[in-house]
Amino acid sequence: MIDQPMIVAAGITKWFGSVVAVSDVSFSIGPGVTALLGPNGAGKSTVMRMLCGLTPPSKGTLTILGGNPRKDVSLTRRIGLVPQQDGLFDQLTAAEFVGLAATLHQLDDVAGALTGALELVHLDPADPRPLRTYSKGMKQRVKIAQALVHDPDVVFLDEPLTGLDPRQRLHMIELFALLGARGKCVVVSSHVLEEVERFGSRVLVIVQGRLAAEGDFHAIRDLMDERPHRIGLRSNDVRSLCTGLLDGGAIVGVQLMGTDRAIVDTAEVATFRRTVASVAQLRGVSLLEVRPLDDDLESVFKYLVGR
Amino acid sequence: MKQFRALYLTQIRVQATRARLASLAALGAAGMFVAYILGRRVSTVNAAAEFVGLFGLAVLVPVTALVVASAGFGDTVDDGTLVYLWMRPVRRTVLAAAVVLAAVTITVPLTVLPVTLIPLMMRAPSSIIAPSFLASLLGLATYCCVFTALGLRSKRALMWGLLYVFIWEGFVAQAGGNAARLAVRAYTQSIISNSAGVTFELAQIDSPWSFVVPLAVMAVSFGYTVRRLGRHDVP
Repeated sequence: MIDQPMIVAAGITKWFGSVVAVSDVSFSIGPGVTALLGPNGAGKSTVMRMLCGLTPPSKGTLTILGGNPRKDVSLTRRIGLVPQQDGLFDQLTAAEFVGLAATLHQLDDVAGALTGALELVHLDPADPRPLRTYSKGMKQRVKIAQALVHDPDVVFLDEPLTGLDPRQRLHMIELFALLGARGKCVVVSSHVLEEVERFGSRVLVIVQGRLAAEGDFHAIRDLMDERPHRIGLRSNDVRSLCTGLLDGGAIVGVQLMGTDRAIVDTAEVATFRRTVASVAQLRGVSLLEVRPLDDDLESVFKYLVGR
Repeated sequence: MKQFRALYLTQIRVQATRARLASLAALGAAGMFVAYILGRRVSTVNAAAEFVGLFGLAVLVPVTALVVASAGFGDTVDDGTLVYLWMRPVRRTVLAAAVVLAAVTITVPLTVLPVTLIPLMMRAPSSIIAPSFLASLLGLATYCCVFTALGLRSKRALMWGLLYVFIWEGFVAQAGGNAARLAVRAYTQSIISNSAGVTFELAQIDSPWSFVVPLAVMAVSFGYTVRRLGRHDVP
């Protein structure tokens, strides 16, 4: 439940010709970090573009900070966007690019604002090199700096961690969490489950243009764990191991693949995780490999959609 | 004003790529060279006016304006950078004006200067210089407004623009008065024609209208660009 929604989407639908990109999606988002999770092509970027007013919904209504950014240009003062596309004004330096954003936002202290924003993402405001010489990760940080330079109330970040090294990823995740803790509404899209887990946030799962699930990340994770799982096992005595797991109720089906391999089905992956090692030890068999066969994000999303 | 200045200067840097400037400057230089060669044989007002009309106003000005102005918004749509201008609290009129003015600024030295110098290169009487300057400047501003709008409207702006310049203005408009009235070239050539008494194939348009109509086309094109910016699907 959200006390003060800063973003309200009611039945938004977007189609391009005969292709429905987003279908009847409704949600409210308040202060804090909210992740839009979904596989590539799920419609996350289209939702993001509609939220920013870059494209109007074909159907439904959107309210951002009580207005419509597509019609009310002044609302963009309170919105920051990190778009997915890589293009920047490559002839400019990072300071010039972020300075342009600060000037267009009519900030009083442009130099101070651009310096602060670039330092926030660990870039040197005095770097004289044009943006075309920057690496993908550096460009990504410039995009984040231009989105934050005017201290917006709502920040949309479309796949913001793309191209960043692990250290920078960690820094950005901390930065987004800090913004959320300060009462900003931070909406981050990602197709990587582990990234979203680290945001520690509320999650909207978008699959095939529909809102498949929403809630606290841990609730979504539990939901994902509740689904039937298929796991590959390798052991020196796989038959004995599977018998033990079946007897203990950790698995519900077995398919033996020779003498040392098997594929098992489990309805409760948490129980399976807890018992597999102890059963192997009890039966004196060596557990050589435990490999989830359907833990990729696509299968998780398929489950959520078909639920 | 600060917003406009920032947008204008950025657009100049973004639109004025070296390759673009070099190729367009070469076109203007080639025209002046041909004018110099022609001037060694004939250096009358008529000859200079014809060359200004048939090369400067029919090829150099529209093609240069097309290449630069259609890229004003066209390039930003193609590479996705329009979002960095659009998602700002900037009035659409300010954004459109900065882009158009940047295109005019870049193209003036590439077009108006060579067109104005053509009569000098041909050693023609100086009476043709002022109309050449005026016609090329008016034509350039009009084409820049039209092609800026086209760049925002169509991903194939260059193709449509070339079709307009060479097929419509070059052939279709020659067929009759009404078609000619939809050709910017008819108005700019009329300025030369009215001043120098040279006859071009396109319709002869009397003095006030040869100025008024291009100004009206500018206003309509600019209005369309502003309206389109408000309704555009920004990539």
